[in-house]
Order: sequence, then C-alpha cells, then structure tokens
Amino acid sequence: MDADTTVTLTDPMDFKVEELLKEVHFARTPAITKLVDDTVSAIRKSISKIPDAFPVTADLAPGFVRDIGADKVEFKFNKPKTFKIGGSYSINCVVKPAVNVDLFVGLPKECFHEKDYLNHRYHAKRCLYLCVIKKHLKSSPSFDKVEWSAMQNEARKPVLVVYPAVKSVEAPGFFVRIIPTAASLFNIAKLNLKRNNVRAFNQDGIPRATPKYNSSILEDMFLEDNAEYVEKTISRWKELGEALILLKVWARQRSSIYVHDCLNGYLISILLSYLVSLDKINNSMKALQILRVVLDFIATSKLWNRGLYFPPKGQIGVSKEEKLQYKEAFPVVICDPSAQVNLAFRMTSVGFCELQDEAASTLQCMDKCGDGGFEETFLTKIDFPAKYDYCVRLNLRGHTEVHALGFCLDDECWRLYEQKVHSLLNQGLVDRAKSIRVTWRNSPSEWNIENGLAVLDREPLLVGISVSSLEKLFRIVDIGPNAEKKEEALRFRKFWGEKAELRRFKDGTIAESTVWESEQWTRHLILKGIIEYVLLRHLSLSKENVVQIVDQLDFSLLHGAKDLVSFSASLLEAFEVLSKRLHLIEDIPLKISSVQPLDSAFRFTSVFPPEPHPLANERHTVSRLHKLTPSCIQPLEVMIQLEGSGNWPMDHVAIEKTKSAFLIKIGESLQNRWGMTCSATEDDADIFMSGYAFRLKILHERGLSLVKSENGNKAKRVYSTDKMLFIRGQHASMINGLQGRYPVFGPVVRVAKRWAASHLFSACLVEEAVELLVAYLFLKPLPFNVPCSRVTGFLRFLRLLAEYDWTFSALVIDINNDFGPEDFKLINDNFVSSRKASEENVQNVNPALFLATAYDKASEAWTTCSPNFTELKRLVAYARSSANLLTKLILEDQTDSCRWECLFRTPLNNYDAVVLLHRQRLPYPRRLLFPSEVNRGRHVARVNASKAFGPFLVPEEMKGSSEEVKNKMMVDFDPLRCFVGDVEKEYSNKLKLWYDSLGGDAIGLTWERVGSKKREREEAPEEETDSIGVLKAVGELGKGFVRDIYFLKAPRLMS
Amino acid sequence: MGSAEKKQRKKKPNLKKRKNSQLSETDENLITVKEDNEQNKPSGKKKIKREKGNSFDVRDVQDNSNKAAKEKKRNKSKKKLRREEKSNATPIDEVGEHGDDADNSNENLVAGASQVKKEIENPGRPVGKSKKARKKKKKDRGSLMKDEELEENTRDADEDDVYMISSGDEHCSKGMKKWVTEYHQSRPGLKVLQQRIDEFITAHEAKLEQERKEREARAAEGGWTVVVHHKGRKKTTDAESGIAVGSVAQAAVEDKMAKKKKKDVGLDFYRFQRREAKRNEIMLLQSKFEQDRKRIQQLRAARKFKPY
Repeated sequence: MDADTTVTLTDPMDFKVEELLKEVHFARTPAITKLVDDTVSAIRKSISKIPDAFPVTADLAPGFVRDIGADKVEFKFNKPKTFKIGGSYSINCVVKPAVNVDLFVGLPKECFHEKDYLNHRYHAKRCLYLCVIKKHLKSSPSFDKVEWSAMQNEARKPVLVVYPAVKSVEAPGFFVRIIPTAASLFNIAKLNLKRNNVRAFNQDGIPRATPKYNSSILEDMFLEDNAEYVEKTISRWKELGEALILLKVWARQRSSIYVHDCLNGYLISILLSYLVSLDKINNSMKALQILRVVLDFIATSKLWNRGLYFPPKGQIGVSKEEKLQYKEAFPVVICDPSAQVNLAFRMTSVGFCELQDEAASTLQCMDKCGDGGFEETFLTKIDFPAKYDYCVRLNLRGHTEVHALGFCLDDECWRLYEQKVHSLLNQGLVDRAKSIRVTWRNSPSEWNIENGLAVLDREPLLVGISVSSLEKLFRIVDIGPNAEKKEEALRFRKFWGEKAELRRFKDGTIAESTVWESEQWTRHLILKGIIEYVLLRHLSLSKENVVQIVDQLDFSLLHGAKDLVSFSASLLEAFEVLSKRLHLIEDIPLKISSVQPLDSAFRFTSVFPPEPHPLANERHTVSRLHKLTPSCIQPLEVMIQLEGSGNWPMDHVAIEKTKSAFLIKIGESLQNRWGMTCSATEDDADIFMSGYAFRLKILHERGLSLVKSENGNKAKRVYSTDKMLFIRGQHASMINGLQGRYPVFGPVVRVAKRWAASHLFSACLVEEAVELLVAYLFLKPLPFNVPCSRVTGFLRFLRLLAEYDWTFSALVIDINNDFGPEDFKLINDNFVSSRKASEENVQNVNPALFLATAYDKASEAWTTCSPNFTELKRLVAYARSSANLLTKLILEDQTDSCRWECLFRTPLNNYDAVVLLHRQRLPYPRRLLFPSEVNRGRHVARVNASKAFGPFLVPEEMKGSSEEVKNKMMVDFDPLRCFVGDVEKEYSNKLKLWYDSLGGDAIGLTWERVGSKKREREEAPEEETDSIGVLKAVGELGKGFVRDIYFLKAPRLMS
Repeated sequence: MGSAEKKQRKKKPNLKKRKNSQLSETDENLITVKEDNEQNKPSGKKKIKREKGNSFDVRDVQDNSNKAAKEKKRNKSKKKLRREEKSNATPIDEVGEHGDDADNSNENLVAGASQVKKEIENPGRPVGKSKKARKKKKKDRGSLMKDEELEENTRDADEDDVYMISSGDEHCSKGMKKWVTEYHQSRPGLKVLQQRIDEFITAHEAKLEQERKEREARAAEGGWTVVVHHKGRKKTTDAESGIAVGSVAQAAVEDKMAKKKKKDVGLDFYRFQRREAKRNEIMLLQSKFEQDRKRIQQLRAARKFKPY
C-alpha cells in the first residue's frame, strides 16, 4: 500500500530502479547474517585446529609449484594473523544471483622469508598455505565441498571456495571465498615496477622488468587496506551502495567487459570511491544519477590518459616520474589510495576500449530509448553471441605451444596467448574489423591444483569480432604496402606467405596484396577464410580446432549444394525486361502505368527464391531437359496499375472480372508480340519468361475507397483484394529500401523465416511479420550495433520474440525514422483500444503481436488473426529455447557435432497427432530439411502414395510438342495447401493444423479445446475413438499425399 | 516399448494379405525408402545425418545415443538369432500371439530387429560408432535391407486397427487426384476464360440494364423517387467513350486539401484556444503519467525486473 502511494509521487524510472534494487540486492536478513556468521566461525574453528609449526613442503601441490617455477617453498605452518570479512558483503552490496562472501585470511609473516617475493616463491607458499587449510576444511562436516578457483582468472593466485553444509532457501548456492592477504610481508621498494623479480624472465641474459608479477604481489599486500578504504567510502551514504549495485548489474550483463582483463566488482567499487574522493559525486545524487556520472566518466574523461590517482592525503602525492613509470608499464592505471599499486594492472587496452564503448552506448540508450533505456541498460544480456558479428572458438586443449615458454613469467601464458591471437587477427583483418575481443577463461569447475596448470586450457578461447562496415567486410582485394617499400613488403610477405601477390592496380601502383575470391552469395565467408588462414598459418593449430560460427546456419538455406539467392540477379533482370514489355503494350484499352514487384524473392528475403525453370522460357527445346526437371514452378507476384478510367464497374465481383479480362488481354498481347507463354485461371494470370513465372495482379485504385465505405464498422475488418494489394505494395517497397541499406537484412530474414516454418509456424506467422520483426532489429539496434552477420541477427530475432513484452507493448517499426509524437500517440491509442476490447478475456487479445508500421498503424495487415494468444505463447516458448540453444552452441563445444541442426528440428511429440506426408509427393522435396519419423503414439492410418503427381517430370511426360510439355508444368501447385484447406474446411472447429509451408513432411495436429458440457459427460474412451475417427477422415482427405497418421494425445477437456 | 513390440508382431497375417492385394503400391514405397538410404550422394547422407538430433532436449538425444551404443554390442550376438527369426517369420508371430506374457528372449529378438532399423535410419550417427562398424554395415547392407523390409512390414502392420487408405487415384473425390484434376480444370486456356468472362459481363450488364429499366418503370408508373444532391466534382469521364476527361490523381487532391487547411484560422489565434491547448497538454501529460503507472504495475506483475 505504501508502495502504491510512492508510485504516484515518484518518477517511473526511479520506481523501476527501486524495484530492480529490491530484486537483485542480497539483503542481510537475520537468517542470512546467521548463516554467514556460522560459516565464517566454522571456518575459523577448523583452521584453528591446525597444529602450529606443521611442516609444509611442495608435496602438497607438486604440480602447481613445478609449473609456476618456484624454488625453496618449504615453511612451517602458522595460524593466520587475521580473519576479516571483506568484499561486497562488508559494504552490503552483494548482488544476486552470485551470492558469496569474501573472507580475507592474513598470511602470517612467520611463514615467509624476506626474499620470498622472488621467483614465485610467494605464490607457491600462498597456494600451499591454502592447501593445508583445504585439507582441514574438507574433513569438517560443516562444509559441503571445498573447491579451487582463481582470483580474477589469475591461475597463480588461487582462492578457496567453501560451500557450507547448511543450505539456505534465501541464498541458494551461497559460498565463502577464502582469499589470502599479505599485508606488509615484503619491502615495497623491492616490488618497484622497474625491478625484475622473476629471474627466468630475461632477454639474452639481461633481466627484464616484471611489473605484472610485482603488481600481483602488491595487490595482496594492500587488499585489506583498500577494502577498508572502499568500505569507509561506500558506507558514507546509502545511494553510493545502490549505485554500486546498479553498476554491477550493468557490468554483469556485458560479458565483454566483466572479465579478467577489464572490469570486476572490486574495480567498480574502487572507481566509485575515486570519484567520491574527487567530489564528482555528492550526497544529493540519486543512485541512477551516480551511475550516469560514472558511465560518463568512463566514456569521456581525459583523466584516463594520465592515470587515476587518489588525491593525496596530506603527504606528497605520486611524483611525475612514478606516474610516467606506471603509464609505461600499463595501458590503464587506477592507482590504489595508498598510491603503491596499480589495481588495473590486468586491464588491457582492448578491454578498456570495449569498456568505454559500452559506457558510451549505454548513455546513448538512456537518452534515446523508451523508458529511459532501463531495459537496455539493466535487463538486456549483451553477451558475445549477441554482440559480436563473428564468433570464433579456438580449442586449445592440450595445445603445448601455449605454455612452451613456461606458464608464468611476468604475465601468465594464457594472457600472452590472448594477446598473440588478438594481434594476429588485428593484422590479418586490417580495417574490416571494428573491434576484436579475445578472452580465455581458465578456471575449470573442478580444478585439482595439485596437478598443475596444464589443465587450464580446457575451455575454448573465445574471439568476438565486430565488423566495421559491410563494404569493407565484402572487399575482395586487400592492398598491402607498395612494392618499393622493401621492408614493409617483406614483412607483408612474411605474414601472408603464399597468399601475398604482387599486383598492378588501376592507378598504376604496384603493391603487395591478398585476394579473397568469392561468389556473391558467399561474401560473408571472406572474413572466415581470412581468420582461418591467418590462425592456421601462424599458430600450429589444426583446422577442426578453429571453430567458426558464421556459416553454421547456412545449411538451412541451401537447396542441394547451392543457395538459390544466387539466381536473384537473373531474376531482377528478367523482371526489368518484363516491366519494359508491359509498358510497351499498346493493344489494350488502358495503358499500364506502373509495375511493382510484390514477391519476397525480389527483395532478397525469400528463403527459396525460384530457380529458372527450363520449361518457362520463351523458346525451349524439349531435348535439353535434364533428368530432374521439377514439375512445379513457383509464381512471383507482380502488381500493375492501369491508367485511370471512369468506365470501371462499381461492384466488387464485376471489378475482379474486369481485371481478369485485362490480364488475359495482356497475356495474349505478350504472347503475340514476344512469344511469352501465358497461363491463366479465373483469378490469376501467369506469364512465363526467362525461366520464371510472373503472376500479374492489377491494383484498382477505386477499389481502395470502395472498401472504406463498405467496411465502415470496425468490428470486422477484412481487407478487400485491392486494399491488400496496396498494403503489400507498400510493404514490398519499404522492405526493399531497408534491404538496400542493410545487405545482411535479407539473410537474417531468410534464416528467421526458415526457423519459423520448420517449427511448423507457417500458419501463425506470415512472411511479412517476420520481415517486420527483423526490420526492427536493424532500425533499433541499441544497446547493440546493427547486426552484420546472419547468426547474430538471427539470435537477436529469437531473443526479441522471446523477451519482448507483447502483452503490454506495441512494436513500432519506423523505417524512415520519421514518426513524430502524433504518430506514436496514434499507434499507442490504437494499441490501447485493441487491448481494451479484449480486456475481459486475455485469451482473445487481438492482435496478440502488435506490429505498427507507417502504412499500418493499427497492426491490421499481418497479425490480426494470427498468431493468436496461445499461438504466440507457443512461439515465444520455442524462440526462447532456440535462443538458449543457439547461445550455447556458439559459446561451448558440443561433443556431438550435429547440434546446429536441432535449431530447425521440431520435436513432434508436442502435438496431439502427427500427419506424415509422402516425401516424394512434395512439390519441392529438396527443400526438406529433415525427414520426420514418429516412434511413439498409436499408428492410426497408412495411406498409399498417389501416382497422379510427382515432383519431377518423368521421361514420358517430356515427350510431345513443346505446348503439351509446358502444360505439364504446374504453376503454384501445392498439395500441402490443398490438403490444409480441405481439412480446415471440414474440421476447423475440431482440429488445428501446424505445418511448414516451405517444404516439411510433417504436420502437427492439436485438438481445439471445446468446452461444451455435453462433451464433458461423455466418457474418455469414447472420446478417443471419436478422435481416431476424425484422424481417419483426415487421412481420407489427404489420399495419395498423406503417408501415416499417428495419434499421440486425446483431446483435453476444459472445465 | 514391450507392448508396442507385441502389437507389432500380432499384425503379420494382415500384412500378407495386403502384400498380395496391393503389392505394387507398397513395393514402390519400400523402394523409395531404400533408395533414400542406399544412394550415397552427399545430400542424402547429410539429410540422414541431420536426423540425429532428435529433439531439443539434449539429454534425450544423448540417452538415445548411449543406448544405441550399448545395444549395438548386444546386437552382434543377436544377429544370428535374428537371421533365424527372419527365415521363419511366421512361427514367431504365432509365439507372439499365443504367449502374451512377453517371453523374454523373444522380446529381445524383436528389440534387436528394431535396433537394426534404427541404425538404418541413422547410418551417420557418429557417437560410439567406429569406421569399422560403418564398413561392416555396408557389407551387411544386403541382409539388412531384408531385415528392414521385414521390420518395415511389422511396423506397417502395427496394430489390428491401422486403417489402410488407398492412394485415391481411381476416382477423384478426395486427395491428390482431386487436387491435380482441379488444377488442370482451372486452366482451360485463355480463349475459354475470355469467353467465360465475356458471358459474365454480358449477363452482368443485362442485369444492371434490367434494374435500371425497372427503376425507370417504377418512376414512370407515377411513383416517385428521392432526388439526391450530388456533391463534389462533375463526372471526369465521357460516358460514351470512357475516356478520362479530367481525371485527377489522388495525390493531387490530397495536396490540394492540405493547402486548403492552411487558410483556416490558426489554432492558437484565440486566447481560449491557447488555454485549451495548454490544458490538453497537461491532460496528455497526466494521461501519460497514468500510463506509466499502469505499465509499472504490469511490469511488476510480469516480474520484469529480474536481470538474470
């Protein structure tokens, strides 16, 4: 009740933030406090039982000690100097779902020698110390399990993760991290950035400075002090803590910045403290404002160039020389309050650029997106698969090259390898890539530290690449250095090897270059080729260990071995000619004034654009027909308009008849003048030309106004033929424009359409709706960039479908970005009124998927009838599971290499009954992705295949005159459509059909829920026999086409 | 699985009958199935390979493959048995019919057979399948084909009440034959279509003429008609020739209308208008605020604050 009153008073954004905080903040309830206290004291008790002066040798973790190359590691165990709870729990800023508490264990000075900062001795002893603790904790019953983890992915600094035996419902998965600290163990001067403390790290005998190694020790030495400082700062006022939580939520959603070489929770709190110390944040700010300040600071501050140093307290601050030293040693400097250690020593320049980018784009979201960018900032997951256009996985398991020079010197070998891969790719891709991100996580869940570090290469190394622009991406020739510049040319040759060619270019220059020959429809694979070439050439990897994601979905668009989109150019050419010829027609009463393409094949968004048919040419020789000549041809709709006339009849039927008459006249004219064949029915006229069938449609402008007067009542809006044609024309030109702007749009739409169809959603989601959904991704890409690969685009499409709030919001597709406030208001009014009409019954929401466009602000064109509420629910569920699967496929190795296909393979057990079709009776059998089989349920009927139709012309049919043979070619004949039509006519109240109009061989059936009481009284067995009867009748309707019918579930009754 | 197997066995006699009567049809089917498997062309192989990932459930598939691997081992020993079974299929049927309480060994036999069938369906399954095994299968294909046939048949003949439907080619009341016939009927050629349309138009015009005459007749009879004032432009076409006289494009009209509007008095001319505008604005803001509030409640209901 209280909340309600505050709602009316506060800004909605504040309220949302408040709710978010409530959701994610892991509050210290009494139960939680008790759990934490109990666990910590149990740990202390266990540790205190360890006998003092217990001798410790390398035998506890021989592998680890060997791999980090430490000598002289024996010591006598002493109890920890201090125990202290630190980290986010101490400042009450734990963010769910990662619920843990950091326990700082102060290493006692007695265990270390003065010179133990040398040669990883500290690291080895630190680890052995933990080994002792682990051994004792494991024997205690209060702990469920004790595992190893690494501090910020730094393998030489392991930490212990302790799960208490007592589980709490409030804190699922709760654990305590035991982190050793080393306050004042060593002389700080010895750990100066310029000093070498790892003797093995040298160049020709001259020792090199080890800044990272030194910082790694220094970090431990000041861990407690810094934690204390942060605690003191953050607890000064409440909003700081809240801002910290928000920042953490923000960062965690972005997996490219919340990693070891960029940001972590500790650094965020340091950064926040720093800004407080600079007085950039004051106590009148709200949490969200503080967040903005921090993001703005990250994105734009010039202070980064010289490093961040806390203002000195009294004494003299950091000297200029020291600052210079820091700057030289590290790309990013965030010095701790004591000015002794760069806490950002793990941060790379690439990581930092990424961080700045993300901060800037978030600020943009807050300004530009609806609802203050709340969703984009806090709720949208920006992980590698969705963010980067190209993802590559390198499987480096057992790849000894990684640690050939030793596991840890100044830096660790994995980090060096990351850098190596990055620089190779950077050099190979030149300006094609906007950014390249390489990360390699090295903490396997069950890590036995005793066995050493060789196992840390289990997880794949992940590369994410953002494309700079499509022109650059699709460029075929990369021009290298001029041949006259000998040195550079040599370096170029060395990098590219045999791929480098000396070429003379148009402007007369002779330069080194690389050429990536590629067909139009495989241009997206150029980058793949480069990556593969570069990595294989410079890293001793085998091809199967470089897993590229970009082409993994291409199989879904292939027809045989080819992508039919390669015929698009010839199709457009044919259309041009047709258009010209139509304009030239003189012998009809009204001239043709405009010709416009309607079919999706013209705008590159058709999954299967037609392939030229040998029989659909103006002239053809029968003898040239090859063996597998398809018997069907798919027509492409073209809209034409005639010049105005007052002589048109007024009534609807007569108008349609007149149109047909015109079409026949046009067909005859083309036939006489150009020898093009025309085939017509009472409704359609198909013109054959250059291997394609064009279906002409006449748009009669008067028809548009007719509708308005006829269908004035809003209740039932069924568009007339003319209105529908008009809208389709608008849609086609709009999408065509978009495809011109974003060439990747087409492929993404095609994959998305294929997905929807292969999950039997053809009846629910029309082509155009898919195009609009994908269009939205390109028009409103924030918080991402515009997708530049089909996989990324497809993943975002699935997530949009799965996560968008369809019940309460309209999706506005503003193609030209020209909607004003009135437009939005109009759309919103339409939306609200459509929702109001169905307020009483949520199930009847109409349209459930509200898509508003410039030509259709009330979402009446594509989604009025379907998907309905239940269909949408199913669609969303499928999209969610497909999105999750796709994410997994991109990020993780699958032992089974066939998992990609699962994205398009629908589980048939989700239906009440399944109809399987004769594969050889489908009009285009090569479009079938997977042959379906059903192994469960009851086999109800089996139908024999018809001989009346086959997908390919048989030799006998190809004999005879060309006229006769041409008549054998069937235009737009689709047995599936016929079957579905027949069944729906008969059983629309009993059955619902789910099918794949692109060429699947299975149809799912579900029983329509009938809630009549009469049926309730009937007994279940009777119900079953009844449904079996229906299924048999369905089989009868599909004679010759249907193969088998299986019965899985009886109709459920609604009470 | 057991009960299904049992049912399969029951069906044998039926199968025979069908084989005799509709031999040609079924055989054709079988051949196509075989072809699918036998043809070693890449596309076919790919297709079958894809078949593997059976459903979205990861565990499901893995389970299957594990099972397959295990069962395969068992299979080897059972192969002999199966051959025996094949040679005299009818006796086993009888066993199946009489001994309803699933004799264990018998059960296994059929399970083995169905396993083979599975393998035929998924020859590309890599899990737990070495190259050797694949080679071996090739060798065995001849015999396997027979097995498959047998299996296919048992499967066909699933239960007593599997309803057999003919191809429907003999008459065209339903199904494929009907659709094909309808297709061809709908395309009688341009000449015929032209004629039909002409007929329709003539009939239509005659009808209109008739109506007009009736109307006139009514008027002449001394009745009266309401005279409606026709607003707007004059006719744009010459009634005789049908030629456009002054046809105006829709866009042009809209353009004109847009220009016209400007002549109206500005919306903020009178003070009351300005006041109203302001009030409207405030109302709009208020309504927007209300909307936001509603939306938050919806969001809360949908638990839309969870970032993970």
